[in-house]
Amino acid sequence: MLEKIKSNFNTQTWVLIPIAIGLNIAVGQIVLVLKLPVFLDSIGTVMVGVLCGPWAGALTGALSNVIWGIAFDPGAFPWWPVAFFIGYMAGRMANWGFFKSWWRVVVTGFVIALTAAIVSTPISVYLFGGITASGSSFITAYLMQTGQGVLQAVLSTGFLTEPVDKITTAMLAFAIILGLPKRTISGYPNAKNVETQTESKTELYIALGVVVLLILFAVFLLQGMIASLSG
Amino acid sequence: MRERLSFYIKRDSVLHRLNPLTKLTLTMALILIAFLSPWYWTPHFILLAAVLPLSFAGRVFPEFIKTALRLILPAATFLFLMQAIFQPVGETVIFKFYFLDVTRESLMFAFRNATRIFVMVSSFTLFLLTTHPSELMSDLSRRGLPGQFAYVIISTLQILPQIQAKAQTIIAAQRSRGLDTESTFFKRAGAIVPLVGPLVFGSFIEVEERAIAIEARGFTSKNLKTSLQEIADPSFERTVRWVLILLIIISALLNLWPS
Repeated sequence: MLEKIKSNFNTQTWVLIPIAIGLNIAVGQIVLVLKLPVFLDSIGTVMVGVLCGPWAGALTGALSNVIWGIAFDPGAFPWWPVAFFIGYMAGRMANWGFFKSWWRVVVTGFVIALTAAIVSTPISVYLFGGITASGSSFITAYLMQTGQGVLQAVLSTGFLTEPVDKITTAMLAFAIILGLPKRTISGYPNAKNVETQTESKTELYIALGVVVLLILFAVFLLQGMIASLSG
Repeated sequence: MRERLSFYIKRDSVLHRLNPLTKLTLTMALILIAFLSPWYWTPHFILLAAVLPLSFAGRVFPEFIKTALRLILPAATFLFLMQAIFQPVGETVIFKFYFLDVTRESLMFAFRNATRIFVMVSSFTLFLLTTHPSELMSDLSRRGLPGQFAYVIISTLQILPQIQAKAQTIIAAQRSRGLDTESTFFKRAGAIVPLVGPLVFGSFIEVEERAIAIEARGFTSKNLKTSLQEIADPSFERTVRWVLILLIIISALLNLWPS
């Protein structure tokens, strides 16, 4: 275990982490300028997770929130476990080979989104009573008014709002890593995670199947919500 | 965008002279007790009887109030209103607004939650106002925190303004080449890649150079490093820390007590 954690960290990893945290914040601000409905503020975390390993990604995420707390808003501190698991999950999925082609990256983004929603739920419920100071709390509040429990309402809100952001983040990270010269990447512990494969016919069918399943899942979720709203 | 990346204000006060770890323990204790204690008025009491007097003791009261209000008041007010209106608990209805009931219970609930958040953010703010990040890091690494963590925190605080400046330069440069960042949704979404791409590529190229530079300065060396700056840690502060930890444990136990 300890050996596995250590294998994520070489000098290049330690140098990349501060830069990745900086990128999280700077990219978040660029997106703010563009007025897009996403945050993309975990792109650096995802890249460290993919290139260096799950534990390096987790550390980047957690420290990213600590830095955000020190430099901008101390209210960011309690959310560090969410960023921790975003980085961890990105690294885990990449280790399982889910960062090698576009459809696999979409799956990774989706899994990261589910993880983020699940981890943020208890924090939101126990610290804020379910309703936080973010805009998506209007959805939570609405669900609670319709008679859903706090836990269920917060979790549904997370499942609704997270996937768009996290899938975009994963796709953008993938596009950037593809564009980086091989020589730059080769120094990181898990550089082999991003060696892209050429897709065979069967792969493409699996890809289509996965995408269809994801869409079905989203529709199912929405339907469940509509049913719970009207019922 | 802020021009200064740390809240720290250099003054000479009791609070500034305390060991960073004592201040960190104190901050954590105030927050945890505010959240754990079963007594309804604890967070309000901590805010008035501990956090505010401490800000006077630290001689940073004006800055403290300004930062705290700027950071928390919008969030806490929003939180209070949302919870007071939407929290479906309690029977004693105070007033009705269409289908929304504001009850006595939901008001009390919202008031306590907003105060807890206020205690959390304001005591962290106070900690950051009176403690320089590098002082905290050198004290923690003296106590056995791996040097790599200190490197990450401190160098991030240094790199961040540089990366933000670079981002601004890239935005300006791409706009001057005619990149559309303001019109339709699809045009703006398409602008992400030409803006984020150069920023990330440029930063990644830097990594290798930095890695060689810090490696040459013994970054991964296992030997004990000496410190230029000595940070005092008198024995009574150690006692204070243990008392604070004891208080946290007591309030956690009281919380678990079946009532």
